[in-house]
Amino acid sequence: MTAQQAGEREATSVPGRNAGVDSLLSVRNLQTHFFSREGVVKAVDGVSFDIKPGEILGIAGESGCGKSVTSQSILRILPRNGKIVGGEILFNNGDRTVDLATEEADGRVLRDIRGKEIAMIFQEPMTSFSPVHTIGDQIIETIRIHQDVSKEEAREQAVEMLRRVGMPNPARNIEEYTFNLSGGMRQRAMVALSLSCRPKLLIADEPTTAVDVTIQAQMLELLRDIQADLGMAIIMITHDLGVIAELTDRVMIMYLGKEVEHGTVEDVFHRPQHPYTRGLLASIPKMEPGRVEIEPIEGVVPNPYAMPTGCKFHTRCPEYIAGVCEKRDPPLTAVRPGHEVSCYLYGGREELE
Amino acid sequence: MTVAGGVGQMEDRAIISVRNLVKYFPIETGFLRRQVGVVKAVDDVNFDLNEGETLALVGESGCGKTTTSHCIIQAQRPTAGHVLFRLGDATPMDLTQMEKAQLKQARRNIRMIYQDPYSSLNPRMTLLQIIGEPLIIHKMAGSQEALRDRVAELLRLVRLDPSTMNRYPHAFSGGQRQRIAIARALSLSPKVVIADEAVSALDVSVQAQILNLLKELQNQLGLTYLFVAHNLAVVKYEADRVAVMYAGKIVEIGETEELYTNPRHPYTEALISAAPNPDPDTKNRARIVLTGEVADPGNLPPGCAFHPRCRYAEDRCRREIPELVEVGGEEGQSHRAACHFASELDLAGISGGAEEVEIEQA
Repeated sequence: MTAQQAGEREATSVPGRNAGVDSLLSVRNLQTHFFSREGVVKAVDGVSFDIKPGEILGIAGESGCGKSVTSQSILRILPRNGKIVGGEILFNNGDRTVDLATEEADGRVLRDIRGKEIAMIFQEPMTSFSPVHTIGDQIIETIRIHQDVSKEEAREQAVEMLRRVGMPNPARNIEEYTFNLSGGMRQRAMVALSLSCRPKLLIADEPTTAVDVTIQAQMLELLRDIQADLGMAIIMITHDLGVIAELTDRVMIMYLGKEVEHGTVEDVFHRPQHPYTRGLLASIPKMEPGRVEIEPIEGVVPNPYAMPTGCKFHTRCPEYIAGVCEKRDPPLTAVRPGHEVSCYLYGGREELE
Repeated sequence: MTVAGGVGQMEDRAIISVRNLVKYFPIETGFLRRQVGVVKAVDDVNFDLNEGETLALVGESGCGKTTTSHCIIQAQRPTAGHVLFRLGDATPMDLTQMEKAQLKQARRNIRMIYQDPYSSLNPRMTLLQIIGEPLIIHKMAGSQEALRDRVAELLRLVRLDPSTMNRYPHAFSGGQRQRIAIARALSLSPKVVIADEAVSALDVSVQAQILNLLKELQNQLGLTYLFVAHNLAVVKYEADRVAVMYAGKIVEIGETEELYTNPRHPYTEALISAAPNPDPDTKNRARIVLTGEVADPGNLPPGCAFHPRCRYAEDRCRREIPELVEVGGEEGQSHRAACHFASELDLAGISGGAEEVEIEQA
């Protein structure tokens, strides 16, 4: 695509649509499927959510629920056999709204947004960095790709960002290679790299999963502090409901590519409605005095190539209603303002009859 | 091999006693592999594993918990120390002094389960071969039919369908594979099972199934578990006693409930405080966030290895290595901690207990 064509696309992108009222990002009915010889895996199958500027949203679920694919879809960094087959990803980029789902994955619009407006941190910090360049060079490069500043200014910004993320000696750390840094320092350097262009949205995909609990606590504190400081929105993707409870404002629980429940963390953790959410919370051992029993969810996660019909959870659900749940996907029903559940226990059965 | 005099007596209830266990790895450099240092992976560890109990070894990466378990089963030969093992009323044997043939016999009774059931099960073997292999090696299989019967029984024990015994591991999910690994570990009817991060790679709903299965099997078969793990909430649920390790040493050991509600070592306090709790009400609690990282066992700080991260550290901590001493738990339970100020500090453990989750039906 030539620059001129890209310019035209930009100018005409998503005419007359808004990314929700004052939303930074609106994902609407996103469907991302993977195509392979064995068949099609509907990794994300109709997911919708909004995130406002400065908000911290958690996306939680177990392996294969589609939480990471959702984030890869937003940044258009899906593996080659993954395709967005439907839905919209509306990003409010200042004066205009862009549909990231229909832009060229490596076109100018996305290259401008990726790393600048929306940044990402990963589970393994080494995947964010090149091992043969100093961390300073990499942060300076990122800054100069997106901003028209001199090398010296970029360097100052890089040192400043390393200082903000709590690197012990930023002026020296900037000259270091990643292999010289300890695990915790690498994590901090990765956060500095991702925030170097002051993104409006930071996507954190299991950033604390591979680290020890004391380093995890440091990382969560850093994310909280830096969010308060810089005010970006965060999407926190994790399987750890403890991390969700500690960091986020709202949470979306996913199961096999579907959203099963979303609401404020208080609503979802204290008043869980979906049988899957309740099952998840009941299976976590608690750090509380005395004997607290845990109750596992029965059965196994279905094979992604042979997904159950209707509600994806009905094969393991203790409240399964025969003749209802296997028929069609349950619709999202609001059980209170801002707290929605997709389960026939709470509505939607009328439409089946 | 019976125990030579002076190694130390085993406690009455102990099935395994670890005495002054040390495992150092040399740091070598250059063509001549000159030794320039030593990684003190396990440094003078002592504990008893009592018959029928679950003892957890917890700590962060590099604390020596896995090396300790490997030194017990002699997968790695310890640098020094003794591992005493006693079957019933027999005389204790020292595993560290045994030859290969004797060890093979002893290992019938001490089996392991590993973290990752995707790499611990051979993908080219059927469940019958995987679970039956230890029986064949130890000549306990009998006829082909008897072997099939035993494998079927083991599969039923771990709640898998015996008709699947001719299938390969790839046909099973992570949780099911861990059940297969458990069936294999139990095939020789061992006394002791060492579970090294056995549920860490599993999703929470499946993790809960395996935790409960391990408990049921323990009650049913009278097993003794050494449960190596880093997740404190999981350990709280599963273990009767807990040993907290830091930089190759046990820093605190005691009954689970006592240790969690009344920690006596600042590291235990910090670990408990750092563990994320799935309760948004605790979001704003004051949390102890340790600065720095786990001490490098190849270059330990002088004195107490934890002192550079300890918020209570004083001069003495920088000079003297604290001994693991009895600090006295409730009702005469043994509770030991390795901190100079264990009896003076007022440390915070788990408390409260969130109110019941309301389950509202709309």
